[in-house]
Amino acid sequence: MTPSLHSPTSPPDYFSNCTHCGFCLAVCPTYQLTGDENNSPRGRLRLWSEEAAGRLPQDEWTDFYTAECVGCLACETACPAAVPYGEIFEHIRHEHVATHRFSPKLPLRLAAAAVAYPALFNLAMLPARLLRSAGLGVHRFLFPGRPAILKSTAAYAGELMHRHRPTGPRVAFLTGCLMEAAFREINFATVRVLIENNVQVIIPGGQGCCGAFQEHTGLDGVETLRERNRRAFGPLEVDAIVSNSSGCGYALGKTLPPDKPVRDVLAFLGELNPVRRHRAKDDATRVYVDLPCHLVHGQKAPGIPANVLDATGYRWELAPNAKDCCGSGGVYNIQKPENARAILAGKSAFLNEAEGSPVILATSNHVCMMQWHSAGATGLVTRPYEVKHLIQLLDPGEDFSIPPASPQS
Amino acid sequence: MISPVKSSLEHQLKALLPRGRVLISAAQLAGYGADGLGYKNHLPDAVVIPADAEELAGFMCGAKALGVPVVMRGAGTSLSGGPVAAQGGVVVHTSALKKILEINTEGFWCEVECGVGLNDLDAALKPYGVFYPPDPSSGPVCTLGGNVASNAGGAHCFRYGVTSNYVLGVEAVMLDGSVHCFGGPAGGRGSWREDWKRFMIGSEGTLAAFTRFWLRLLPLPEKVWTFRATYPDLKTTEAAIHALVAHSSYPAAIEMLDPRGVAMVESSQMACGLPGGSFMLLVEIDGPEALVNARVEAVAEILRHAGSQDVMFSDQDEIRKKLWKARKASGGLLGQLSPSYVVQDAVIPKRALAEVLQLVYDEADAAGIRAVNVFHAGDGNLHPNFLFDSRVPGELEKVELISKRLMQRVIEVGGTLSGEHGIGNDKSAYMPLVFGPDSMRLQLAVPAAFNPAHQMNPLKVFDNRHFIA
Repeated sequence: MTPSLHSPTSPPDYFSNCTHCGFCLAVCPTYQLTGDENNSPRGRLRLWSEEAAGRLPQDEWTDFYTAECVGCLACETACPAAVPYGEIFEHIRHEHVATHRFSPKLPLRLAAAAVAYPALFNLAMLPARLLRSAGLGVHRFLFPGRPAILKSTAAYAGELMHRHRPTGPRVAFLTGCLMEAAFREINFATVRVLIENNVQVIIPGGQGCCGAFQEHTGLDGVETLRERNRRAFGPLEVDAIVSNSSGCGYALGKTLPPDKPVRDVLAFLGELNPVRRHRAKDDATRVYVDLPCHLVHGQKAPGIPANVLDATGYRWELAPNAKDCCGSGGVYNIQKPENARAILAGKSAFLNEAEGSPVILATSNHVCMMQWHSAGATGLVTRPYEVKHLIQLLDPGEDFSIPPASPQS
Repeated sequence: MISPVKSSLEHQLKALLPRGRVLISAAQLAGYGADGLGYKNHLPDAVVIPADAEELAGFMCGAKALGVPVVMRGAGTSLSGGPVAAQGGVVVHTSALKKILEINTEGFWCEVECGVGLNDLDAALKPYGVFYPPDPSSGPVCTLGGNVASNAGGAHCFRYGVTSNYVLGVEAVMLDGSVHCFGGPAGGRGSWREDWKRFMIGSEGTLAAFTRFWLRLLPLPEKVWTFRATYPDLKTTEAAIHALVAHSSYPAAIEMLDPRGVAMVESSQMACGLPGGSFMLLVEIDGPEALVNARVEAVAEILRHAGSQDVMFSDQDEIRKKLWKARKASGGLLGQLSPSYVVQDAVIPKRALAEVLQLVYDEADAAGIRAVNVFHAGDGNLHPNFLFDSRVPGELEKVELISKRLMQRVIEVGGTLSGEHGIGNDKSAYMPLVFGPDSMRLQLAVPAAFNPAHQMNPLKVFDNRHFIA
């Protein structure tokens, strides 16, 4: 007889995959923080399944332990039985919000409503762009950067495409909501890096938030957002759909059909062997690379390709425990700031003693960048360091040209 | 609503644990109902998480007066029901006691708290060029407290031996709060006769609460070679095992996956090209580089001579990982195949392997239960896994009946109940199959000496070991 693997379709079935082995405990940030089995994936699955089976009445502690989960998905990587924890968690969280067992904080609810209207969200975030552009760090999450105030990534990409006329693979780029509204300079850098590597960049009109915001908060509306992106990306004939934020890329990946895989922009560049940046010989910069959970545990990527990291021209190494969560968890650092800070404290301690001048903490997800910036802004890290998206370390700047193709290629 | 009795218990526990945590609501207890045997559920009345060793000792001072059972729990990965409250009471979760107190490379020992994770200890030891050999598969998460309590083994215990070979000393707190050292860093320096340390190891939480251990370390082997071979039948596989065991190369591990295990791996995303219907052997040798390198060809030749046509071996970490893949993946794949499984832990004389395996197949097939065998072939430690669905009425009973028949035969051929998982409450019913009434009476007197009312982990090891308040 050929063994058939489970293909769960409804939540009660999901639970049966868990054999209670406990391998998830070792990688769960909230179990490590509290030492409480209920605050682990195995514990939460047990709470949800006991409640679903009618053996455990609704209990505020179930609500509490559910809300405690960061959603980092490290447990999915550790799980030998392939329990689709993220999917179950998302389902339960949505149910808890719908039945008022859990209520996301007001600013998050407002933001979740706003991201459904990109133009409105862009307008609402104008002060953030202005403040960042003026070099005013007024919030612990607002890492420094100089975003364009009015010009969109789509307009910018159009200009560069016209100017440089790349001839290589065609990609459709997900610009994201918060990324576009607040951290647009990273999108601009992404466009430059892609075009410098002879990639044709298309910014599909009509695209919108990937839905991760709704997934993280458990609020309604995720399907509307997904449907909009299915319409925007689905019919395109491109070589790849790319995202520069691992969380958004993971969410869009769940939205589009399997024949339209969403690639992380760094993994995509890895296949092209990107143009290398050259640094001065005596450059003492050290780059510490942290791997976003939604890249390694969500998208199940092995990491960020070494040739891409080498192409930054800097001396780099992985941050200690690079595959562990930094505590950002989408909006976890807003929902559960104390836990998020405790998780970050463990992750970021090494920076105080890290070699290099300057020191750069580089990652590939803007919410992780926000969290890492807060380590300095709130005193966990007391020495100066910069937080960068890795694509920014490959950025040729405004004045670049596409290098002629080498004979081998 | 919390009953007045519970409320009083909560009050007492909070007084005993001013800094730690006390869990009392139904939803706080649910996570503590089971161990690695997820389908057997026994809810405690409360769970406490002491903040540190001092608080655990303080809790033990007042534990007797609570008048309820006390059950120690590490990471809850046990496969015997050891850390569950079979008779209710308080589960003591040692998750906060995870300090590695000393690594002494001159004396080749370390001192650790009971909640230290096994692989965390390994990672901490590695930079010093030393290691702690026992390696149960739950290493990424299991704790040393659980390892000592169940005298854990692992794949490499064929040569290195089990946990008891590496425990120099145990610090244990009795129910009256008294702290005793059985052995110590140099061995034999505790307050008890050195040999009585063995009472503690494998006692499955029935005697005392462990707080810390002194463990013996070994130098990391310079070189490791991993071999993988497949065989068309059990006879040739057995020939290979016997030849390996008798050879002077003295493998560290000899692991086996039966054809049903091979089929499971090959039809999954973990497929690695093993021939259908084959038995897979996984062998490892380690030690000083020159010595081990000189033995590689001899081991490969033994594997070939016994009848394998596809012997593969390597000393490269990446390739070794690939050779181990089928063996390592098999445990998790069971979970993908079936909602529940029972893994037995019998140890048999190697000459009885074919007969006992056949019994497993016959019984499981007759009952319509899938069985997969993944085990430590070198020391005859069988792990037949019976896959079932605990939600289907009657399935658990079928599996229990098969297990019982298997155990009876294991005893008849001169084997025993458990190699490394412990008895817990999963195998306690089989104890009388191995031990006569006199032996049972004397063995029961041991926990009774330490806690006369059997307040520590009642109903474990002996199924008539009730706590009477």
